[in-house]
Amino acid sequence: MLQNESQDIEQASAIVQAHAPDSKTRRYDRQLRLWAASGQAALESARILVTSASATSTSILKNLVLPGIGHFTILDPTVTAPADAGNNFFLNGFDSVGKPRAAEAVPLLRELNDSVEGVADTRELESLLDSDMGREWIKSFSLVIAHNLSAKTLDRLAELLWEENTNPPLIVVRSAGFIADFYIQVHKHCVIESHSETNPSLRLTKPFPALQAWADSIDYDEVDPTEHAHIPFPIILIKEADAWRKEHDGNLPISYAEQKLFKAQVIARQKKLDEENFEEAEGQAVRMWSEKPVSSDISTLLTFASPAETLPKANYAFHALLETLKLFVSHPNGPGALPLTSTLPDMRTDTESYVKIQKMYKEQARAENALFKKILKEAFPDLSIDEGLVDAFVKNAHHLKLIRGRKFGDFDRQRTELQSGLEIFNKEVATHVALSALFNLFSRGSDPTSITPESLRAEVNTLVGQNSAPLNEEVEEAIDNAVGEVARTPTADIPNTAAFLGGLVAQEAIKLITKQYVPINGYCVVDLVGSWTGLVGQPPA
Amino acid sequence: MAESTMANGNANTSDWQDRYYHVDQVLDRPGPRTDPSFAAGEGVKDFLRNKCKILVIGAGGLGCEILANLALTGFKDIHVIDMDTIDISNLNRQFLFRPKDVGKPKAIVAAEFIMKRVPGVKVTPYYGKIQDKDDDYYLQFNLVICGLDSVEARRWMNATLVNLVDPENPESLKPLIDGGTEGFKGQARVILPTISSCYECSLDMLNKPTAFPICTIANTPRLPEHCIEWASVLEWPRVHGDKKVDTDDPEHIGWLFQVASKRAREFNIEGVTWSLTQGVVKNIIPAIASTNAIIAASCCNEAFKIATSSAAYLDNYFMLIGTDGVYSYTFQYEKRDDCPVCGGESMDISISKEWTVERLIDTLTERQDIQIKKPSLSSGDMHIYFQAPPQLEQATRPNLEKKVSELVKDGGEITVTATTLPFSLSLRVTFT
Repeated sequence: MLQNESQDIEQASAIVQAHAPDSKTRRYDRQLRLWAASGQAALESARILVTSASATSTSILKNLVLPGIGHFTILDPTVTAPADAGNNFFLNGFDSVGKPRAAEAVPLLRELNDSVEGVADTRELESLLDSDMGREWIKSFSLVIAHNLSAKTLDRLAELLWEENTNPPLIVVRSAGFIADFYIQVHKHCVIESHSETNPSLRLTKPFPALQAWADSIDYDEVDPTEHAHIPFPIILIKEADAWRKEHDGNLPISYAEQKLFKAQVIARQKKLDEENFEEAEGQAVRMWSEKPVSSDISTLLTFASPAETLPKANYAFHALLETLKLFVSHPNGPGALPLTSTLPDMRTDTESYVKIQKMYKEQARAENALFKKILKEAFPDLSIDEGLVDAFVKNAHHLKLIRGRKFGDFDRQRTELQSGLEIFNKEVATHVALSALFNLFSRGSDPTSITPESLRAEVNTLVGQNSAPLNEEVEEAIDNAVGEVARTPTADIPNTAAFLGGLVAQEAIKLITKQYVPINGYCVVDLVGSWTGLVGQPPA
Repeated sequence: MAESTMANGNANTSDWQDRYYHVDQVLDRPGPRTDPSFAAGEGVKDFLRNKCKILVIGAGGLGCEILANLALTGFKDIHVIDMDTIDISNLNRQFLFRPKDVGKPKAIVAAEFIMKRVPGVKVTPYYGKIQDKDDDYYLQFNLVICGLDSVEARRWMNATLVNLVDPENPESLKPLIDGGTEGFKGQARVILPTISSCYECSLDMLNKPTAFPICTIANTPRLPEHCIEWASVLEWPRVHGDKKVDTDDPEHIGWLFQVASKRAREFNIEGVTWSLTQGVVKNIIPAIASTNAIIAASCCNEAFKIATSSAAYLDNYFMLIGTDGVYSYTFQYEKRDDCPVCGGESMDISISKEWTVERLIDTLTERQDIQIKKPSLSSGDMHIYFQAPPQLEQATRPNLEKKVSELVKDGGEITVTATTLPFSLSLRVTFT
């Protein structure tokens, strides 16, 4: 019954797509090819709070307004200074000087896309954090982005948003001249559509009955030459695996030498030199020793599954599905593997065989989908869950991702982590701590003119811990380079760095909002002197 | 800070106090890694704001971003070339354009927008092809930034700038900064013509365009794409004769979609949609504002560093993948000695003694590091095969059937040319 329903939906959407797309679809065509209508709908319902109208902030917003987020609010009590007017594309040059910066920026951002709502708010973040109403208001957004806040204000904001795991994620962006970093504070982020480019298992080492029956039915010597040259590679590999197992006590090739022999055996089946299906099978033979019933990534993920009574409130549906997946893998009537993929790669075969094998995979996948839903219903009888979400979860079971983040600043509070980080990723961690030092100094009231390599270095020493073992030369140099560069430009929000961050942070925001693709977990560090980016401070496993 | 008047900008606009407060922090003093030759202060600002002339190729996804960044960082004499007009599908990222601009030339609309938003910056647009301009035109610039989606245009620009280099005249060496994006991925690179690896050196790094064998399309379709290719490559010419498919005409796409759908139904193939049909026939590459922002910023940052020496520039390749976290890789792409554009040595090719000229031509068109369409071949004074003019084509056509080894001796050289490329490729052939 459910299957018929989803087929009807498929047919209905096929009819819709038979007509030329409407103007909205045409406008968004190049991005819909990345995140589809589901991702677009998520963007359109997103409400984003940005805590300033700095050049970096408006650059981020530009890249979110263009693809069509629902709403943004710029919170900024300042009045446009001549310096702002010079480096921000979303101010009206000198005409904006003396006027509220947020109110000047909002219309210029809104004109990028009629369908986006934008609000300028001139209240102080600090005073909002002081009142219950203000705090509730901040929490009502779906994402908060903060650029170059003083360390004190930032800590209060991060603290507030970390209190409940249902609060919006926070993206913290810090920059000075050519140097920057950013961080996503989120308890858990679940990704069903990760768009991973790795191939899902075709389950060739443990074929489902229909596929095995097909392989068994083929006798290389009986089929005519045309058919022989069109046997799909999965069938060839299943047959060869069976033959190999007979000779090797039921085992598949393990050592490199055995793998080479196996490949040779596959290619030796060619009756003519140009049978491309056998060449393809040889190329795909790696599947026979790399495909696992449950990939190691997903095995790790399944250790976070927990029974119904202990599920967290946030991401409840995802965790229910994860628990169901765990039950599915070990279910006596199940395949003992992740649900079968129904998307096959193209293969060297004729239309008939390809359609046949595709149909087999689809039917098996459908049966496993039904089993999954049965288990879900048994384990979570009261759960009301969108059918489409379950289907998407089952379909993407091979590529699920779960990000378990930590609070902003936890990395900096762990000296041992900072120290070992410095030893391994010296320039990346040095750049990060140089920025932490800068914003610590600012929040203690330091004047920009008092920021020197020495004052920054002293603060870095405090952060990293002076009593630690002496730092090696490379680390020393990395710290000198980072603090030197930050001291050169302590208050500079330069347009190229702003634009670079604008792109990177917007990409991450889009990934968070659409729950597609995989966001960073840690600090992304940017050095536009050396033209590199790096990632540090990932939470320990 | 003293107010200065622009040499090339609008005479009535002046820089206001603190206009460059942010950028000046970088220009007023060196950082720990800045080259000692950096002359901090007024000299470098004067060069950037009053003397430097920069050319931007492309006013699309990357171009719009590049123009805005250059203008804000203080470049005041910017030229831009683009041959395209604005389409509705550009509006999700090409942020200098509005719905009312659809149909107008990108270069002109973009230039006007920048000049209006960033006072005192002069942007000179050219609505046309890069090939319309001669060496003298390109010689006037200090730097060139390319934000293009076409491999062919990039190869032309690259080869032109390499050919421009005159060892006697250091001014003739124009740094070329090239950017490109696809979905959440992109790359930026700095090319110092004849000194560092050029665009042609790395041609084999490009993804191979998906080409479906004609026999699959005709006889054994399996994917929806095969049905769409059948409709556009085989059915369209059969029904419409010489009339070409206009990929921007909804009626044409609609026709292809209907024909492809019918074929898909016949073969029980699922998945032919309007969007996929358009994607396949137009070879659409997904594109978003954020990725373009990253790559354009990277290009402009390198241009700024080269123009000011305020920091070392990229040597020479930056690639970014944003699909799974943020992964980037900065590395030096090596110069190829046998690069047909900047290498100077001929490329060795080893072929069977039995190969015909036609077979060699097919191989050349398929090779990822050559990527040549309709090549013409000659050796010394001898025309082996010429695609044009028609008389020469006719005269050389019989050679297609001949063996290469009958026409060229072992170790001999073949010169390959094509109208799409401003250089010739020299092959040294050995036979096996």
